Amino acid sequence: MNVIVCLKRVPDVAEIDLQVDASGKSIKTEGLPYVLNDWDNYALEEAIRIKEKTGGKVYALTVGKEVDEEVLRRALALGADEAFRVWDPSVSEMDPYVIALLLSRTIKENEIPFDLILTGVQAQDDGYAQVGPILAELLSIPHVTLVTRLELYEKKARVKRELEGGLEEELEVELPALFTIQSGINEPRYVSILGIKRVAKKEIRVFDLGALKLDPGEVLPKIKVEELFPPPVGEGAEILKGSLDEISEKLLEIFEKGGVI
Amino acid sequence: MQLVQRFELYACLQCGKCTGGCPVSLRTDLNIRRIMRELIFGEEEVLKKEAIWDCTTCKTCTLRCPRGLEPSEVIVALRAILVERGRVPKTVIDALEATYIHGNPWGRARQKRTDWADGIKVKDLTKGEESEGLYFVGCAPSYDPRLQRVSRSIALIMKLAGVDFGILGTSESCCGNEIKRLGEEGLFEELREQNKEKILSSGVKWVVTTSPHCLNALKNEYGLEGIRVYHYTEFFLELLKQGRFPFKNPLAQKVVYHDPCFLGKQNNIYDPPRDLLRGIPELKLLEFSRSREISLCCEGGGGRMWVEGTGRGTRNSEIRVKDAEALGVDIIATACPFCLLTLEDALKTMGLDEKLQVKDIAELLTEALGLEVER
Amino acid sequence: MGKVMVLVEHRRGEIREITYEMLKKAQQLDEEVEAVLIGENLSELKEKVRPYCSKLLTVKVEGLSEFNSEPYQQILSQLLTQRKPKILLMGHSAQGMDLAPSLGVALGCGVITDVVDFGFQNGEVWATRQVYGGKLSAKVKASSETVILTVRSGSFDPQGLLAFKGEEEEVTFPLVPFPYKKFLGFLEAPKAEVDITQADIIVSVGRGIGGPENIPLAEELAKALGGVLACSRPVVDKGWLPKDRQVGTSGKTVKPKVYIALGISGAFQHVAGMKGAQMIIAVNKDPKAPIFNVAHYGIVGDVLQVIPNLLNKLKERKK
Repeated sequence: MNVIVCLKRVPDVAEIDLQVDASGKSIKTEGLPYVLNDWDNYALEEAIRIKEKTGGKVYALTVGKEVDEEVLRRALALGADEAFRVWDPSVSEMDPYVIALLLSRTIKENEIPFDLILTGVQAQDDGYAQVGPILAELLSIPHVTLVTRLELYEKKARVKRELEGGLEEELEVELPALFTIQSGINEPRYVSILGIKRVAKKEIRVFDLGALKLDPGEVLPKIKVEELFPPPVGEGAEILKGSLDEISEKLLEIFEKGGVI
Repeated sequence: MQLVQRFELYACLQCGKCTGGCPVSLRTDLNIRRIMRELIFGEEEVLKKEAIWDCTTCKTCTLRCPRGLEPSEVIVALRAILVERGRVPKTVIDALEATYIHGNPWGRARQKRTDWADGIKVKDLTKGEESEGLYFVGCAPSYDPRLQRVSRSIALIMKLAGVDFGILGTSESCCGNEIKRLGEEGLFEELREQNKEKILSSGVKWVVTTSPHCLNALKNEYGLEGIRVYHYTEFFLELLKQGRFPFKNPLAQKVVYHDPCFLGKQNNIYDPPRDLLRGIPELKLLEFSRSREISLCCEGGGGRMWVEGTGRGTRNSEIRVKDAEALGVDIIATACPFCLLTLEDALKTMGLDEKLQVKDIAELLTEALGLEVER
Repeated sequence: MGKVMVLVEHRRGEIREITYEMLKKAQQLDEEVEAVLIGENLSELKEKVRPYCSKLLTVKVEGLSEFNSEPYQQILSQLLTQRKPKILLMGHSAQGMDLAPSLGVALGCGVITDVVDFGFQNGEVWATRQVYGGKLSAKVKASSETVILTVRSGSFDPQGLLAFKGEEEEVTFPLVPFPYKKFLGFLEAPKAEVDITQADIIVSVGRGIGGPENIPLAEELAKALGGVLACSRPVVDKGWLPKDRQVGTSGKTVKPKVYIALGISGAFQHVAGMKGAQMIIAVNKDPKAPIFNVAHYGIVGDVLQVIPNLLNKLKERKK
């Protein structure tokens, strides 16, 4: 089975004090460590396992600059067969629609054969969770989001999908189809440095708008970020004071605010 | 090349000195003698053993082998095969990936690597400053709040003694000692290259480390031509002998010193830590019966801070603190960050944390010198 | 100002809470609030929603008792093309995530997902949402004729929903068969093994819990909050909890929405396994415990006193 997997390189901001840049619409990226989006890591592992089980090829795609090729190298080191990157400096602003459009054109222009397309549920930077379903719609194939288990048959797939509160649902989908992969579906293997070095010379095919026969007027975002701002929080642990009753009341408020209860 | 040829396994006598001295053989499924034999029949079955991850790379087996074989290196080679296949425990993956991305196996932000030095003016050799020597802090002493007392102590003591030193700041990366022993040779080489480049371009003549693990890597595996690498206890002993430690407070305590494997067994540094302790006024130094070459491995090395294999029952560190209790000491002194963490954990689980304390030698020195370590 | 339309979210005969949250906000924004209910057996369901809208559109489809994005998308494309609301609201839930983005393409409209607030400004729709794991917020705008928003659960308080006109209108749309995406059924999550790495809410105990006899107390709290029980290594070493509950460098790494650390000192190897949690609440006797360096909220006190009090308050609240 041939699988296309879409990957995104994102900053790992776990302990960083994020700062908004001069434009007010994005973050200062200097010195930030970058990683493959966590959900995409699971999607990539799933794609490789499908290749190991059924044969066929894995095609890795990303929308990004040269520095983002890191995630494609990881895919190649794991056994992906071909890698594609899309970028054009004239695309000034990207939203999920633009990203999905660029991906869909890359697939169509190159006539990449596929039985499935896998993406992560969402990206850990903006968290829109839209690129997958938009891409499916643009390619006119069915999609299922939040997939926790994928069973493949000749022309269809049986999937488990995560709902709320520990509940799941089961669906049957005809292939070709797109699945957005939920974390925890598998245990991604380790990719060694030597493994990545071995694929350093493998070709990554790069496309711009011209190569995709798109003109800039077609590639416009449908939503725009107006500004980024920090949410109001205190420094360090806010120590809750008072009697046991008062503390419990405050905790309940905190839980309510956090959507816990 | 097959492991059999690479490690000359046909030469193994099966005498059992390796397993006989292995500190985890009694509480895990790791039987290194068997592995040395079983590899002759094929690698695949051996690679399935979870016990591969129990090894602390203390090197007792290699040091004792009458034929000069290297069983501990065989374990590392087995781990390297598993790493290439990507099939290693999840916690190992996390530690390796964290080291690649953040420069330390704990996954802490690189930007925060110098937070330990808050309030202490230290030269940053990557920002144009120069000094005679380098203090290579290490990952755990940089980030762990408990161990930051140790790195702060070391820095404050060197300042007091007028030592000209600097640090690599946020450019310091993991020394890679544990990374290599977890089998990620490629990542070790990257780390070595990064650190070496910074160390050599700083122009320092010597390096002092907090951790015996960093000492081991920088001294024995980095090839730092013309640069002397010391563990801080060796360096501090010289300062003590030169009279550069004006002790103010006597420490009338009973202290037992625990030899870390990477300092003692593997690098033959047994006396400097003891001489330092004896140099502290009124300190009474006792010895474990298992000390020096036969010190009981705390199970912190060989990547064990991030992975466990098949261990069950009482940990070595728990036995060690019980021994200390039986000796009637107040303090277990050590000179390794991993020993400190594992022994302190053991005090808690054995319910001895009201009775005993674990302290790094540097902390005892600052107490005796009357230096304020807290921010 | 334009019309706000709410897609009613239901499952197994129950209206999901998010529906009321959206209706409440919609009521605040507009005098006209329309809702659309799609399904098979609507007679009981519709009465739970109709009183809170100006108009409830009911779309009865044979064989469509549970959600499937395909028919919902077909129905809503046609409905929105006809009715042209300014905003279509749905939950940022399993249903909404499956439907909103592709529906947006079908209609050519802007979709802003996982919003915590929204409104109108100069003919455009704005929405606020969290990015970078909640470290920053973003204000996002869309200017298409209709804008689809998926709303994060818990953003709006459904208390105090007003009674609205409550008209009802039955509508039908031609549907193209969709054999390529078939809903088969629901599955309860297997209870046997707990994977703490997938939990949203974690109550974690350390040595400060005192002894194994106190673990059930923490378990009760976890249950009351809809979460799972985890622990630090000393607890596993002592055999009070199994290894699969251990959080830390030699255990598991977790990234829940809420992490409640009870009697955990915050030793380094433990913190490394949970520092990615969105909200950390710590209870510890020691005001200097390192856990307070990473926690967002802290309580200096005895776990064995704080938890029973909290549990009582939670029980009272449920009543």
